[in-house]
Order: sequence, then structure tokens, then C-alpha cells
Amino acid sequence: MSAGYSSAGQRARWWLPAAVDWRITLFCYMTLAPVLALFAYVRVYPIAWSVVLSFYRWNLIRPQKPFIGFTNYLNLLADDNFLLALKNTAIYSLATVGLSTVLALPLAVFLARKSRLSAFYQTVYFLPVITPMVPMAIAWKWIYDYNYGILNYALSLFGIGAVPWLTDPRIALWALIIMGVWKVLGYNLILFLVGIRNIPESYMEAASLDGASAWQRFWRVTLPLLKPILLYVLVTATINSFNVFTQVYVMTLGSQAAPGQAVRVLVFDIYQNGFQYLKMGYASAEAVILTLIVLGFTLIQFRFARAQEE
Amino acid sequence: MIKDHAEAATLGRRSALKLAAGAGLAGAGAFAAARPARAATTTLSIWTGFPELQPFYQAVADAYSKLHPDVKFTIFATSLRECEQKLSAAVPTGTGPDLFDIGTNISVNFVDGGLLDPNPPEIDQYLKSGAWNTHVVDFSTIDGKTYGLPLMEGSRASMYYNKSLFKAAGIAEPPATFAELVAAAEKLVKFDASGKMTRSGISLRLSGQGSGITEKYRYLLEAADASVIVKTPGGKYHNNFDNDAGRSALQFVVDVVQKYKIDDPKVQHDADAFVAGNTAMLFREAWVIGEIQEKNKSLDYGVAPIPKWTAASPHKMLLQPWLIYVNGKSGNKAASWDFLKFLTNQENSLRLTSMTGWVSERADVDWKPLLETTPQFAVFVDPPKDISFYVEPILTPWDEIQSKMADKLTAAFINPTLSGNPAKLAEAVHEMAVQTDQLLKDADLYAAS
Repeated sequence: MSAGYSSAGQRARWWLPAAVDWRITLFCYMTLAPVLALFAYVRVYPIAWSVVLSFYRWNLIRPQKPFIGFTNYLNLLADDNFLLALKNTAIYSLATVGLSTVLALPLAVFLARKSRLSAFYQTVYFLPVITPMVPMAIAWKWIYDYNYGILNYALSLFGIGAVPWLTDPRIALWALIIMGVWKVLGYNLILFLVGIRNIPESYMEAASLDGASAWQRFWRVTLPLLKPILLYVLVTATINSFNVFTQVYVMTLGSQAAPGQAVRVLVFDIYQNGFQYLKMGYASAEAVILTLIVLGFTLIQFRFARAQEE
Repeated sequence: MIKDHAEAATLGRRSALKLAAGAGLAGAGAFAAARPARAATTTLSIWTGFPELQPFYQAVADAYSKLHPDVKFTIFATSLRECEQKLSAAVPTGTGPDLFDIGTNISVNFVDGGLLDPNPPEIDQYLKSGAWNTHVVDFSTIDGKTYGLPLMEGSRASMYYNKSLFKAAGIAEPPATFAELVAAAEKLVKFDASGKMTRSGISLRLSGQGSGITEKYRYLLEAADASVIVKTPGGKYHNNFDNDAGRSALQFVVDVVQKYKIDDPKVQHDADAFVAGNTAMLFREAWVIGEIQEKNKSLDYGVAPIPKWTAASPHKMLLQPWLIYVNGKSGNKAASWDFLKFLTNQENSLRLTSMTGWVSERADVDWKPLLETTPQFAVFVDPPKDISFYVEPILTPWDEIQSKMADKLTAAFINPTLSGNPAKLAEAVHEMAVQTDQLLKDADLYAAS
């Protein structure tokens, strides 16, 4: 009997696997139904509604919603703010994902060694991950302060002049990137650490017996076996970095803040169009494009990883 | 047999339910009869985007509840941007408060969407009773109907100056023109040994994002005899700064940063800087007085009108009445309107300014008790007679126009290539003007003349 056919010779449905008592399947679906319904209501429905809204001109307050087809999308292509936000988000994402991965990997290798202080360091690196973003962004605003910030004070100890981290448009985005890396580093590190600790000791011993150096063991054994984790880290970090918003919002608030254009990112632009200018249809079109970009990157990364495996 | 048994059981349940319902009703009736008659309590909810107004609202609400024990209040305060967003989502969906104060950039949308009722005749008469100036009444009027009541003046900025620093620099009077302002600021600005500015001569809004940057830039733009937009005879609009006056205004700010070096985006700014003595001059609204009283009572300062562009130019002052509205979907409209009349009476208008620093819009308030304790309020509550006022336009895309102009302004202010290069500066101004006109066109509000 080929796979896909039940013992009764009937073709199995995707929702009713072969050789499984239908009552068990029914029980599973019924148990999952409330969660699935909730997921559909709070996740799927808003996404679908955003797609629908992107074809309308809708001011949040007015009841009228004229259908305008692809006009919102066409206008976006000529919108300087959107294009700038796209560019800034791409730079932020590339730099944050790249730096946080490159820094987390050697740190994880180092912390994977048996040490009494290993748990302490893991906690220290993981603390930023669990700290809420708003108070942290406010704290970083102070850290970056030109006159009173601790970062410029630290630089002054090495004879380096004060840096206008937030107010200089050429530097402001990099200030956000530094904070982004600080925030996500611990998360990536823990994932790599779990992956490294799951590599059987015998592989390393065999490589050592074959005369492999520490670098060769890392390059030839550790890294290839970490590929699934690496893929997961890259995908989640890319999605998160494309959705950057809170720190941008906080750091552009007030008179002592970063210039809005220097750090304009996609979600900030969506927020401004949707909730400040009340152009919900336009903001929805932007959100759809953001979703497609993130989806595209994710698929590329998956395909790349699969090609590597093959 | 089974059926009979089932029917018997059903009859039994019905009987039990009837009995329970009867007993419940009887009990409720007896309870009601035993209690003395009491008027139903009305709870009015108020939302504000100014957390500093919360104690004022609470004080007035408490006073009102003493007169009307059946009316209670809940007051919710958050930042202005958050309040705008919450109201934009809550009012159309019928989950908003009974009363809210908000800028016309949002309320004009509510009026368009039929979510605010025109003022009832009694309130309309109250607004037109002479207690408010004509321009304030006009500001509250859309298509011949009035909406809401003026609570306070949302802008009306003046110039704060640090008297101690002025005295130390040998400057006797606050500057009367922008040329005098530059001369004074050059004496007041301070640098450390490495050449880093530690105190600005004047604190302008140079960085950040949002419409507030353009609003503060308008203090200069209007003084120079330009404006962001101007109304055409046909009732449409176009930009009014792609001209000599508009270019002069931008040139001034660029020179403040690049040429005169009397302000720098890197140093501390705004009210915080003035309160801490880290700037000598600041253009701001009356609420800064409240900040100074709270954070640095010993600060020796004065408040004067924003200087004239030249000696021959008029004094200019922005008016931006801030209104409070009754939600069109409120279930307590009568009580809400009654409370609004109480909130905006003379006594509570004086209380507003005394408690918060925000100036009431009422023209018939006796300010003597306030001015005796805080004379700095004088220029706000009793501006010089030669001042020419300009008001905030009530347009749907106004916030977007100002915010997007602000994005370009912050880049221009610190662009060194605009200093001493009139052609490039004119190009930057023209770019902003094109953007402004485009936003007006998108909203079908543009006309070239």
C-alpha cells in the first residue's frame, strides 16, 4: 500500500491522515480550534484587512472609503519619504543582522567552554533582550547625549572628541544600529550556544585526533553543524530588524533628538502616514510592501540554506 | 414512558425557573422599596493630551461635583500624539470619552466625518457673548457653525530672556529686532576652551521631527512677512514662502548656526536649556513659566514679545486657540455642555493659568491677582497693542504640511553649503514650496492665485 492511502483503500485527506483513528484527529482539531480561531482573528484577519485597505483611500476618521485600485502603490513609488525609509531600513537591517551574528558566534563559542562565569556572562548578554524597549531607548538617548552622555565621556578618556551621536544626520542611523546590535546580541548568542552544546563531543574529539586546529574545528565542524541555527537566527533577526520602530520613535521625540529624516525607517513611515496623517489606505499599502519584502528575504534565505545543504 | 418522564422533568425545571424568577423579582422590588429614592449618577469622561492639565481638570471636576453631586468624572491624560491617535480610533468607533481637548488638525476631521455636533444654540450664544475675541470665535467656526469651546491658547509664543546673563553681558534691554537679537546672542553665547558651545545665545528648534519644528519656524517666517500658506480669494491655498521673505527667514536660521554660531543642534535646547541657564533666549509659550516655577524658582528672567524683523516691521504673534469638545456620540451631552460652561467660566479660566501656565483664551478675565505674583505673564495675557496676530489654518492636511516641511527644515538648518550661497538656499526653499503645494493639490485645496 502506497503512502497516502488508508487501510480502507481510500485516498487520505490532508486533514485526516491515514491510519489514524478519525476520532483522535477530530479531538485534535477541536482542541486546537479555539487557538486557531483566536489566531485567525488577531493575526490573519488584520493582515487580510490591511491588504484590502491598501486599495482604498481611507482617512481613519471619515466613513467614506473610495476604491482607488493600485493608486496607493503607484504613489509610494514616487514618495521620497518611503524610498528614504526603505533605504534606511535596508542599511539598518543589513548592519544589525550582520554585526549581531558576527559578534554573537565567537562569543557563543567562547562561552560554550566550561567555566564558572559562563552562566553569569550569559545572563549579562541576555539582559537587554528582556528589558522593555521604551525605557531602554530613553536610557540610550542619555548615553548618546553630546554634552552629558556616558559614551562621549568614555571616548574622552582616550582623547577622542565628543561625537554628536543623535543630532548629526550622518551618524544618527549608526547610533540606532549600535543600540539594535546591543539589544539582539544576547538572543543570538543563546541560540548559538544551544546549537554548539548540541554538537556531540565525539565529533570534536575525532577532529582533534585527526590533528585539526581550533580554527579548523570551528570552520569544518562547528559552523556546518550550526547551519540550521544560523538560518533561524538570520531569518528572525531580519524580520525583527525590518520592523524596527520603538527606538526610532523615542529618539526623534523632542528638541534634543535625531533628525526625523536621518533615521526614517519603514514602520515609522507607516505609523506617521496611518496614525498622524490618518491616511490608512496609504499606510496599509506600505505595510503590504514591508510584508512582501520580509517574506522575500525569508524565502531567499531558506532557498540559500537548502542549496547549501544539497 | 421515557417521554413522560422527560416531560415531567421539563415541567419541573420550568416550575423551578418560574419560582426563582418570581422570587427574584419580589426580592428586587422589596429591596427597591426599602431604599430611599436616589438620582442616577452620571459619569463624564475627559481625555487630554496635556498631562499638566490633569490637576486642573480634577480641581474643576471636584468643584463641579460639589454643586452637582450626581455627576462624577474620570480624567485620562497622556502625551499629545498618543491622545490624537487614541481619539482618532475611539471617537469614530463610539468608544471615545464624553469630552476631549484636541487641536483643530484632528477636530476638523471629526467635523468632516459628522462625529462632532455643532454647538447647541445656548452654547453658541455663550461663545458669542463677548467673553472671547472675534478671531477666537472665528477659529471655532466651520461653515458658519461653531464647534466646541476655547479652553486655552495653544501657542502665543513670546521671548524668554535670562536677566542675569543679560546683566553680566552688559545688555540693558531685551532685543527689539532680529538684528539686535543676533548682536545680543553673540555676547551671550559661551564656548569652552576646546571651542565647544556650552551655552547658546538663542535656542531655536533645530532638530527632531514633527510639525512643532515648522510651528516654531513660523515665529521667524511670519516676522519676516511670509507664511507657510496663504488663502486665495477663491478660498483655496498655496505656499507663501517661496519669495524674498521666505528666503530671508531660512537664511536667518542657517546663519544662526553656520555664520554667527549662536546656536548649535548639539547643545541642550528648549525649555530645559532655559530653565538650566544653558541658553540666554528662547521663543516659547506661557507654560514655560510653570516649568521655571517648578524646577528653578530662583531663575531671574523676563518675557518680551518676539522681536520685529526690522524696526519698521510689526510685532507678530501666533494664535492657536485650543478647544474642548463634546463627543458627538456621547450619551451625556447635556451634562457635558453644562460642565464645559463651568470649566470655561472666568474663575476657572484664572485657575487654569495659575495652575498650569497655559493662558486662557477668555478676554474678560481679571488677571491682576496672577500678575501680582508672576509679572512674566503680562506679555501673554495682555500683549502690546501693536502686535499683529496670525492664526493656525484649519485644514485637514495641515499637520502633514508642517511635518513634511519640518523634515526638510532640519536638514537645511545644519547644511553648511547653504551658508553664503543664496542660489542653493533659494533651491532649498523652492523644494519645500513645491512639496507644500503638492500636498494642497492632493487634498484639492490648491490654487495658484
